[in-house]
Amino acid sequence: MTATPALTFRLVSKVYDASSRESRFALREVSFDIPPGLKVAIVGRSGSGKSTLLHLAAGIDVPTQGEVSIRGRNLAALSDRARTLVRRQEIGLVFQFFYLLPHLSVRENVCLPGFIAGEGVSEFEERASELLEEVGLLDRAEDNIQELSGGEMQRVAICRSLLRKPRLLLADEPTGNLDDANSGLVMNLMLKLASKEGNTLVYVTHSAELASLADEVWRLQSGVLNPS
Amino acid sequence: MIRYFLAAWIAHLRKAPSLFLLTVLGVALGVASVVAIQIINQNAIGAFSAGIKAVSGEVDLTVLGQTTTFPEELYSQVLATEGVAAAWPLYQIDVALADRDSFFLQVFGVDLLSQVRLPFNSSPADFSQALFEPGWIAVTPSLALEMGWSIGDPIVVTSGMRRVQLVIGALVDFQKVSPLASRKLAVMDIAQVQGLLGSSGRIHQIDIQIQEETHTEELILRLENRLGPSVQIVTPRQREQQAAALMGAFRLNLTALSWISLFVGLFLIYTSTQASLLRRRLEFGLLRSVGATRAQVFGLILGEVSLLGLLGVILGLPMGYWVAQSNVEMVSATLTNLYLLQEIDSLQLSPSLYVLAAGIGLGGAITGALFPAIDISRKNSKDLLTAFTLHEKSNSLALPVFGMGWLVLILTALWFWFLGHSWKPAGFVLAVAVLVSLPLLTPFLIQQICGRIKTRGFGLGYSLKSLAARLQTTSFAVSSLAIAVSMLLGITLMIGSFRRTVEVWVQTTVQADIYLTTPSWRAEPEATLDGELVSALAGHPGVVSVDRLRRLLVSIDNKRISLVGVDMDLSGGQSRFPLLTGDRMEVLGDVQQGGVLISEPLARKSELDVGDLLQVYAGPGKLEFPIAGIYYDYTSELGSVAMDLSVMGEIFGPGPINSLSLYLEEDRDPERVVDEIKARFPDIPLQIRSNQRLREEIFEIFDQTFAVVRILQMMSLLIAVCGIMLTLLVLARERVSELALYQALGASRLQIFRLFVGKGLGMGLIALGLGSAGGTVLAAILIFVINRTYFGWTIQVYWPGWPVLQQLATILTAALLASLYPALRASKTPAAELSRDDLQ
Repeated sequence: MTATPALTFRLVSKVYDASSRESRFALREVSFDIPPGLKVAIVGRSGSGKSTLLHLAAGIDVPTQGEVSIRGRNLAALSDRARTLVRRQEIGLVFQFFYLLPHLSVRENVCLPGFIAGEGVSEFEERASELLEEVGLLDRAEDNIQELSGGEMQRVAICRSLLRKPRLLLADEPTGNLDDANSGLVMNLMLKLASKEGNTLVYVTHSAELASLADEVWRLQSGVLNPS
Repeated sequence: MIRYFLAAWIAHLRKAPSLFLLTVLGVALGVASVVAIQIINQNAIGAFSAGIKAVSGEVDLTVLGQTTTFPEELYSQVLATEGVAAAWPLYQIDVALADRDSFFLQVFGVDLLSQVRLPFNSSPADFSQALFEPGWIAVTPSLALEMGWSIGDPIVVTSGMRRVQLVIGALVDFQKVSPLASRKLAVMDIAQVQGLLGSSGRIHQIDIQIQEETHTEELILRLENRLGPSVQIVTPRQREQQAAALMGAFRLNLTALSWISLFVGLFLIYTSTQASLLRRRLEFGLLRSVGATRAQVFGLILGEVSLLGLLGVILGLPMGYWVAQSNVEMVSATLTNLYLLQEIDSLQLSPSLYVLAAGIGLGGAITGALFPAIDISRKNSKDLLTAFTLHEKSNSLALPVFGMGWLVLILTALWFWFLGHSWKPAGFVLAVAVLVSLPLLTPFLIQQICGRIKTRGFGLGYSLKSLAARLQTTSFAVSSLAIAVSMLLGITLMIGSFRRTVEVWVQTTVQADIYLTTPSWRAEPEATLDGELVSALAGHPGVVSVDRLRRLLVSIDNKRISLVGVDMDLSGGQSRFPLLTGDRMEVLGDVQQGGVLISEPLARKSELDVGDLLQVYAGPGKLEFPIAGIYYDYTSELGSVAMDLSVMGEIFGPGPINSLSLYLEEDRDPERVVDEIKARFPDIPLQIRSNQRLREEIFEIFDQTFAVVRILQMMSLLIAVCGIMLTLLVLARERVSELALYQALGASRLQIFRLFVGKGLGMGLIALGLGSAGGTVLAAILIFVINRTYFGWTIQVYWPGWPVLQQLATILTAALLASLYPALRASKTPAAELSRDDLQ
């Protein structure tokens, strides 16, 4: 018996400004199944639909057509609140621009998903410490975010995304704002942690080199996906 | 550039209509507060001079009695004085309508035979019977309509104990001559007024027209030498100034309060402008990069702000008029009750008010926007086109600005202590220092209180912590609310303390069971009680003792002050005059030997003390009395003097009593005895009140006096609450990415809604804390400095627990309600709104 795919796209299309003459297809009939634990890199040029694909996968956006499912649950059939809860329970997100909050400390930024989930503080604080130690930033836990370098900030963001042990990790150009040295460091870290945690990882990147670190590389071109 | 300006303005208006509306509303409320008070102030003075103008027309000089009336014989002396072109006498008396005790006609007795063309002479009314028909009176058409009177109808009025029937002889529209004249103005022949209602052989004033080429000052000197010290000669301007001075303190305090509302509004403008400019920095960067100069960008911003200000003025002016109109009755009652001035019948907007409204609306808007406008226009295009944050800068400035706030407070306090305490407006300087320091202290306090919170969840703590992240935006909203809270609380504490002080004072001094006087006693010293009536009341069943009060008006420092004579020896009567210092029995002894007691306001304002000689001008001329004691008195800020009744009789001759207090047997019901007296003397115009009823009336007047103050407080609060709403809306717009992040991380809309409500609550709580501290200090300044300087009263500090709690709860609720709409907007931010900037 095959395991339920971690992420499924079934003939998913996303059109912006559908009612106007100048409507634009961000994605065209994209279909795939990603089994649990797989690491997939999606490459493509700017405007190819990579971020749109990740937004749909995270339930941040809904497709114009088709079905997006997380472990068999069709996100489009869920209410906005239900999708939010799925995101809370099942998905970790890493962004190109880190999106850390300047008024929170390093530890507090990592714990943010826990605050939102309303879990017991002691539970996720311990988990936060573990993750920070993994990425080598435990001694910076009480520092202000603005004191960190770009690479350090992205490491904090990765910790945040893994705090609640999500099954699916989605990363949108996680090294897009980093120099080469930090890119490699961060990418390897993310892959290592994802493997350790048993996460399914889907990440978007421009870099062929970083893409090659994944189990599979898929190419997205003008909204059409070509799994290689 | 103008085309761009208009297009940009309309586009931004469409994009953020709620921000625009809130800003305009803030300006409008600020304008309305100031304009409302100025309308009332101006019309209060206007009402005073309008009545005189309507009857006398344009005069050059007026002869007035030092006390009230003076001998008619002086009129011929005036006419005979070189330089006098024409003169005419007037007798003025307020009479009550017999069936409506507290409704007064303002009757002017004029010489209708005079050659002088009085302003209403040209009206179509028929004056031919004025001299011949007993009780002939001309009233205004508006009053006749209100009362259902026609020409020929009899009306019954009371003056003192006299009940007199008058007949409506003509309808004269005095308001056509002078629009602010009261509808209750009436005119009779002077001889009729003197005979029927007043005193024969006495007049109140002589109006004078000067011959051409006569020097006014020289004529005044000639008249003073000729007429003697029993009168004063004043110009119309001086008369107006005297009236203005009477209620000067009252008006000044109202004006100061209204300006606080405007001050609060400035913060709203600042927040709105700042937020708008931050959002549009790319637009300005683009303009600069395609060749717009700094001056053009600056002009563009100020142009938009000016339009906002103009709209605020357009809205605020009618709002201010409406507020004034809604409160004119209360203020008018205060003027008549406390200052014995004419009531305000109608309101007029003078051209100067339009100018004032435009000035404060536009000026306020520009002032509030000036700093952000200068800041943005000084930046170069590169800075504008890249993301930057003001909040880093404001975070680092928080401590030095906090220091500045303390510096302002300390320096002002030191100045006051060593130099300023003898300067009359010093109290206002202190108050301004407190209000100015609050916004300086706020950013650092938010930083310290909110920044240090250890986040434990996504609840109130998290909301509070996030306030510290946007200091530039949040501190202004918190400051403006703190200022409004200070004003609210400070004044509530002051009024509460004052009320409690008066309660204790009333408890001590209002001891008799029944109080009797005539309906017109307040305004008319001639309103006296008949001797026979007094004897009859003293012998009424159940009456144990009576306290007689005789009142004369004297002149002290050219101000009319009440001199009351009472039986100082009355058993238990010492409590009527609670002393500031000194042994009661000793002081009583001195008073019975010819000394006087002066009220605290008189003592403070005239800088008099026990042992000094009080110089008065009264009927017999200039007199001096040793001051035996100073007593607490809250009936009038003008002051009063008390002496023994028998000593008064020796000095001024025997005279009738103005009011009477009855002490009853223990088991007697005062209300029943009141009814008995009314039944016993049905035809005598008497105002009879039980102790309970009198106390109730005293506090009705008290509460009425402060009614308009409460309106101003509420307007300030409303502006500040608009500021909270505006700030939260700005945050919801500015922080779109942050809100999207929360959604992306799994926060529900309800959680984001609660987050924003928490921010509003947080701002409310911080403002409450700051405002409570500020309000306490402000209350102290009001009680111990401003009140003492301007009104002369001692107010015992008292914490009116329940009213204060109610107010604090109201403020917090208002802040909470203000956060609901922004919270709703914020909760609708979709997770897809994540973008590259705005999280910084």
